[in-house]
Amino acid sequence: MRRSLILGGVAVLAFPTAALAADGGAGGWIGPFAVIAAGIGMAIAAGLCGLGQGRAVASAVDAMARQPGAAARIQTAMIIGLALIESLAIYTLVIALILLFVKGIQFS
Amino acid sequence: MDAIEHPPIFRLPGIPDHVTYTWLVMVILAAVTFAASRNLQLVPRGLQNFLEVVLEQFMQMIDDVMGHEGRRYLPLIATLGLFILTANLMSLVPGFAGPTGNLNTTGACAIVVFVAYHWIGVRKQGVLAYLKHFAGPVPLPLKPLMFVIELISHLARPLSLTLRLFGNMVGGHILLAVIFLLMGLDGLIGWALSGSVVGAVVGGIGGVITIVFTVGFLYPLKILVAFLQAFIFVMLTMLYISGAIEEAEHHAEHH
Repeated sequence: MRRSLILGGVAVLAFPTAALAADGGAGGWIGPFAVIAAGIGMAIAAGLCGLGQGRAVASAVDAMARQPGAAARIQTAMIIGLALIESLAIYTLVIALILLFVKGIQFS
Repeated sequence: MDAIEHPPIFRLPGIPDHVTYTWLVMVILAAVTFAASRNLQLVPRGLQNFLEVVLEQFMQMIDDVMGHEGRRYLPLIATLGLFILTANLMSLVPGFAGPTGNLNTTGACAIVVFVAYHWIGVRKQGVLAYLKHFAGPVPLPLKPLMFVIELISHLARPLSLTLRLFGNMVGGHILLAVIFLLMGLDGLIGWALSGSVVGAVVGGIGGVITIVFTVGFLYPLKILVAFLQAFIFVMLTMLYISGAIEEAEHHAEHH
């Protein structure tokens, strides 16, 4: 198991260099890793953002069920809070978009 | 992003798409408001009635968040809200580009908000008192630290406003573009029309499922996001302005 992981890592490290060296290497080895990083980063961000928003919505619904009279104000506060939590995932989305679409990033 | 998103059908040569469609939003808003306010009546009907309802909603929100004196800032807030809402909804029309799907448009809106609420705060209580309030109610040795932290947090506000609106809109656009790519003539429907039996069955069923999913779920979700992001932008603007005003009142109480 472990050996295959290491072999896979070596293959990933070795393969893009070999592949891109053949056709001129626009972006070098950073390109494939940028795609992998965008995917993994977006997955982590979306999952943790979902956890945080779930906690926020759970508390808000609990409070609304206890005090239906204050439901409108709680809902407004909840929406603002959700937007602030969501913006953290949006930052990761922007980073992922930069990694995916901005050509010519060169970390030499 | 032109690789997966189709460029809009109407483009002016030499002018970026988001600028063209910002002008379109401006023309639409100006025409609607001009038509509604051309002959004002005491008992409103039709378009005038609709726009009065919209503005009353804005006023209701301002009263809830900022109190009664916040009505002075209705022009700024309502203009931002209507512009962003129209731009968000325009990006859902097939063949049009969304002005808020570009970092420049959202950045311009956020910079307007940033300058406006600082200007309102400075007008309200003077430059020195406003700057002094950045340090906050902490003991004197901690004041420089608090000042720097507050400065960074204020500088982060336009950044977060920009990136939130931009990221939400562009994320939705890319999602729709990928779904359309999977659904279209290069994807499932193309497979269904290609003539093979397996393609006709699998591609046909998958195509119908994706069409129902898109029309029934994704588009309503995008419309909801368009309203929600305009609401949040306006709400945060009101919170920032009311922060700048309330600091003035709070300051006046102590001295």
